[in-house]
Amino acid sequence: MAADSVLKVLFEHEGVFIHPSSDEDGTEQDLLISGSLRIVDKDAEVLVEYRPLEDTVDPSNMLCAGKDSSSVMEWDQCSREKSQQLLETQQSYETEWDMINAVSFKKKSCTNGEGSLNHSHERSRWAFSFSVSELRSVTVKEEGWTFLLLKLKESCSSLPALHFHQGGSTEFLDSLRRFALLSEAAGDDACLLVSSPNRALSQSFENLLDDNNFGLVNQKFRKDPYITTLGGFSKVTNYIFDAFRGTEEQHQRPPEEVADLLGEVIPGLEINQQEEPGFEVITRMDLGPRPEVRRGTALSTEDWSRHQDAEGRMMNVALLKQLIFKGGLCHAVRKEAWKFLLGYFPWDSTLEERKVLQRDKMYDLTSSWGQFISDEYFRMKLQWKSVSEQQERRNSRLRDYRSLIEKDVNRTDRTNRFYEGIDNPGLVLLHDILMTYCMYDFDLGYVQGMSDLLSPVLYVMENEVDAFWCFVSFMDQMHQNFEEQMQGMKTQLIQLSTLLRLLDLAFWNYLGKYNYSSVLV
Amino acid sequence: MTTKTSLLKVILLGDGGVGKSSIMNRYVTNKFDAHLFHTIGVEFLNKELEVDGHQVTLQIWDTAGQERFRSLRTPFYRGSDCCLLTFSVDDNQSFLNLGNWKKEFIYYADVKEPEKFPFVVLGNKVDVTERQVSSEEARQWCQENGNFPYYETSAKDATNVAVAFEEAVRRVLALDERTDHLIPTDTVNLHRKPRSAATCCS
Ligand SMILES: Nc1nc2c(ncn2[C@@H]2O[C@H](COP(=O)(O)OP(=O)(O)O)[C@@H](O)[C@H]2O)c(=O)[nH]1
Ligand SMILES: [Mg+2]
Repeated sequence: MAADSVLKVLFEHEGVFIHPSSDEDGTEQDLLISGSLRIVDKDAEVLVEYRPLEDTVDPSNMLCAGKDSSSVMEWDQCSREKSQQLLETQQSYETEWDMINAVSFKKKSCTNGEGSLNHSHERSRWAFSFSVSELRSVTVKEEGWTFLLLKLKESCSSLPALHFHQGGSTEFLDSLRRFALLSEAAGDDACLLVSSPNRALSQSFENLLDDNNFGLVNQKFRKDPYITTLGGFSKVTNYIFDAFRGTEEQHQRPPEEVADLLGEVIPGLEINQQEEPGFEVITRMDLGPRPEVRRGTALSTEDWSRHQDAEGRMMNVALLKQLIFKGGLCHAVRKEAWKFLLGYFPWDSTLEERKVLQRDKMYDLTSSWGQFISDEYFRMKLQWKSVSEQQERRNSRLRDYRSLIEKDVNRTDRTNRFYEGIDNPGLVLLHDILMTYCMYDFDLGYVQGMSDLLSPVLYVMENEVDAFWCFVSFMDQMHQNFEEQMQGMKTQLIQLSTLLRLLDLAFWNYLGKYNYSSVLV
Repeated sequence: MTTKTSLLKVILLGDGGVGKSSIMNRYVTNKFDAHLFHTIGVEFLNKELEVDGHQVTLQIWDTAGQERFRSLRTPFYRGSDCCLLTFSVDDNQSFLNLGNWKKEFIYYADVKEPEKFPFVVLGNKVDVTERQVSSEEARQWCQENGNFPYYETSAKDATNVAVAFEEAVRRVLALDERTDHLIPTDTVNLHRKPRSAATCCS
């Protein structure tokens, strides 16, 4: 039965584009297809799938994206004329990408009259899927961004080039390497020849399931949707993809229609439900009675040390994480445990290695600078500290960062004893670490919301240098939420919207009816 | 029982830190919290009031001022009935940016006739003594940019806050009969309290 068919998503990346104009003779010059590229294991066959998405974010949001992602954009670029002008000149190098991306999609308000269904049918013809074993070669090209040309063994008509405007090509190739051998063609190192071994991979998939990055099994979700949802919130979109696949088989839907439905998961298109009978598929989501969830006991210092071997390596990390997830940590363990959880300390490091790491972060021994400034953290701190008022007057970015930080430090967790009152040293530390982070990653600089992430870290660490490095590791994970394009936030909002639609369609429709769907999209 | 009320959407725009959230909180809860949390994305509060015999639910939308959050705030511009352009009298840069905020609003709100759209300008923090923007300068800007009403407010000591919102309502009501804003208040089944708050994310 179709419902029993197991589909695992092994890799997924949204924001992979097809440029139809370069493949055809410019009939749709301004059309860019955005889609999601996946590697899935379906009944022990590894498939590569590309599914176009309707624009997943309100395109009008992106019109003002800066020319250079690291610079604060000029207000003037807001003007409609300018972005259209850009479109006409058909510049397609990366620096102009945001603009083109923005104007190529139709504004939601325009789609009312013209029938959005057509629009999505249009897109669905770009969907494709093939087995990894059919793949002959992958050619990697760079043009400010990476794009891949995929060639199949049988077919003489080649697939459209996949443009990774939002990164992810390396990850895709790495993921592909798990299932096929990629070797450079003689004389052309951009071309990777694919040979897939006779795959006896089924057992390795079991291992893959342990890996956080990998997908959700249909049945598991059905059995225990709450737990699985908690454990894999971000994977729910995969489930929905799976749900669609399921119905495809049950009702023998033509692939195009399925692709349409997939595009439909992403709201923004107003598709009349009467005209789309398959739509109710994802609305049927009986979660059953809510299971009783009880909080476990917090992990104590003794529990924590019990998970360390003689040399201080953490053991049974998966179990440990699960215990922490279920019961949290006693405050006394946090200072130590957070360094691991935030990614500052590697789980498999020995106590000795950690000491060295901490010392190196404090004292950069390779530095030829004098003893005072040999400290990596303090070296960066000194960089902004030593900027004179005159210099700062000529450095608007630094000035802006400082002003934002000052405003936000004043508004962060001020009721906590660590930050309350007027002259609390906690405020100075919060300020200094955020300023130093600007020197650590000047392109990103300071973005509102960072102070909220740092505040509890600093509170727990009670140490400027450790708090800084924990924050750095934390930011490595949260970076996407703060970038100019805010891909991380958009993804989360889309996921929220998808979930809402699945779990409370009436409310989701309500939001759509009052035009608040853009809130979530 | 379908009592009808006009729902008016007003949106507060301006640089981060000028006091938008404080103004909203002063108006809706009549409190000032010097340690208010900063705004991420967008939040709104409702306030019921009566202006010149009209029963109105004012839905006040507060936004995050930082550049980076543009794409989180701009989708909310659409459908606004009035825009409160806010600066702080002790921050000249926030005053200089008023024009940009106005432009951004008109663009994303998809305003049909920008010349007729009701903007109200607020110069906040008049309680502080070190001013960087004079009343004259501010009034002149308002005059030149569409003859907008101008109020010098203080969220801290409540100066002119209610007056400014009431003026905003008057401007909107004066514009047309507001028939399109008549919504039956029992549409939403969410056990709405008279004052409900929501945040868009986190
Ligand atoms: N003195 C004074 N400070 C204010 C006033 N309004 C806001 N503030 C302070 O200015 C800072 C920023 O206010 P907030 O409402 O968060 O600004 P927003 O970013 O525009 O929402 C906070 O520290 C407030 O306490 C005011 O009228 N007078
Ligand atoms: Mg605010």
